[in-house]
Amino acid sequence: MTDTMINTGETGSAPSILAIRGLQKSFGSLSVLKDISLSVERGNVVSIIGPSGSGKSTLLRIATFLETGDGGDILYDGQYAMHNGVYVSKKELNTFRTRFGLVFQNFNLFPHYSVLKNITEAPILHGENKEAARERGMELLKKMGLEGKENAYPCQLSGGQQQRVAIARALAMNPEILFFDEPTSALDPELTGEVLKVIRQLAEEKMTMVVVTHEMPFARAVSNHVIFMDGGVIVEQGHPEAVFGATTQERTKQFLRNYKQ
Amino acid sequence: MSLMTMIVKMSEGLSRTCAIFFLTLLFSLPLGMIVALLRMSKVKVVSAIMRFVITILRGTPLMLQLLAVTYGPYYLFGVSVSRNKLIPVVIAFSINYAAYFAEIYRGGIESIPVGQYEAAEVLGYTRFQTFMRIILPQVIKRIMPSVTNEVVTLVKDTSMAFTVSYQEMFTIGKQIANSQTSFMPFLVAGAFYYIFNVIVDYVMGRVEKRLDYYQ
Repeated sequence: MTDTMINTGETGSAPSILAIRGLQKSFGSLSVLKDISLSVERGNVVSIIGPSGSGKSTLLRIATFLETGDGGDILYDGQYAMHNGVYVSKKELNTFRTRFGLVFQNFNLFPHYSVLKNITEAPILHGENKEAARERGMELLKKMGLEGKENAYPCQLSGGQQQRVAIARALAMNPEILFFDEPTSALDPELTGEVLKVIRQLAEEKMTMVVVTHEMPFARAVSNHVIFMDGGVIVEQGHPEAVFGATTQERTKQFLRNYKQ
Repeated sequence: MSLMTMIVKMSEGLSRTCAIFFLTLLFSLPLGMIVALLRMSKVKVVSAIMRFVITILRGTPLMLQLLAVTYGPYYLFGVSVSRNKLIPVVIAFSINYAAYFAEIYRGGIESIPVGQYEAAEVLGYTRFQTFMRIILPQVIKRIMPSVTNEVVTLVKDTSMAFTVSYQEMFTIGKQIANSQTSFMPFLVAGAFYYIFNVIVDYVMGRVEKRLDYYQ
């Protein structure tokens, strides 16, 4: 394994869109993240894989400020959101929030809003012109293969359709980086394909994404970088072929072997 | 006294019954929300005080609270009891019902999945925007059946104003029953409350139906 993908954020050139250094997190006496360091470069797709309880989702939730880290650094585009475990002010965190989007495992659409309103309300609250937000929303729905669903309510859609609305909702904020927390885990197997297809399409358009996933073939095919986590540490990370095809780590081999069965 | 005369006389009290009913809803519905929010406050002292206040209001008879609000100022401070009993009656009812509504609101608010807050947070909604736009509309839909229950109970509870001799419909009926030694006024009162509640049920049913467009 090589460390070439790890940019410490201090070297010259353009800073990574996201850099995490020495991140620590405990719930009570249980240490769930131990010294996690990673970076995400513009236009890359990073997959995070690993068994349940390995800390993948916690890592994503800390990166999106839904949980607070206990130690380490979080930098977006070279700017500190957290430095040595200390966060910047709430107001500053809000400006960081506009940089990223998050797609949840359970979609978390707003059930009382139409599909279109789910997508357009946040941009409008951020000062976007209503008509422009509407146009952009319709455009995103078309891109997600959901033309004609703008007036439907989430409960009238299949899980796969709901997740695509959730992706459109996140994209409507024009994020620089999009996080996915097990985006297909709550879906029936026959519906995962349509969601993965959309993510694949975004990858082709060079959208920067971090995907926590259990879909190994997808992670191998779509990402530029794979991170394998277990027990709160990054066991290894690197090019998907290096991790999936030629890993030297016993723990990774074991995990991938279990997946094939 | 003929049945018709009874009905006419009791109808005169109906406007006061309606006054208690509507004014109580007007004040207790929003007051209940304030109480619920304080009850859920992260400041332990505030939530403990609210919890205590709610147990008092729900754990003692409404009749006692009516008497306390109406006559308490006289016994405590020597303030003369106001002629217009509507004010103390509405105060007592509003506070009492606010306690019940507060617990209904709290149950509703706590039933909203945490994912709704998280989705709103990531999308940059402020806490106020999240509550007003995302949480509250869903809470209202969920609590409608419980609120209807309380509203139906309130219709009948207005009769308790007789304890402080406020001249609403039931008080008048009771006076007629005493003077005429007849049970008929109570049957008339029962019919009035029943019809009132049929209307309440219809209206609340319409509101619930309007919120039926999503699950």
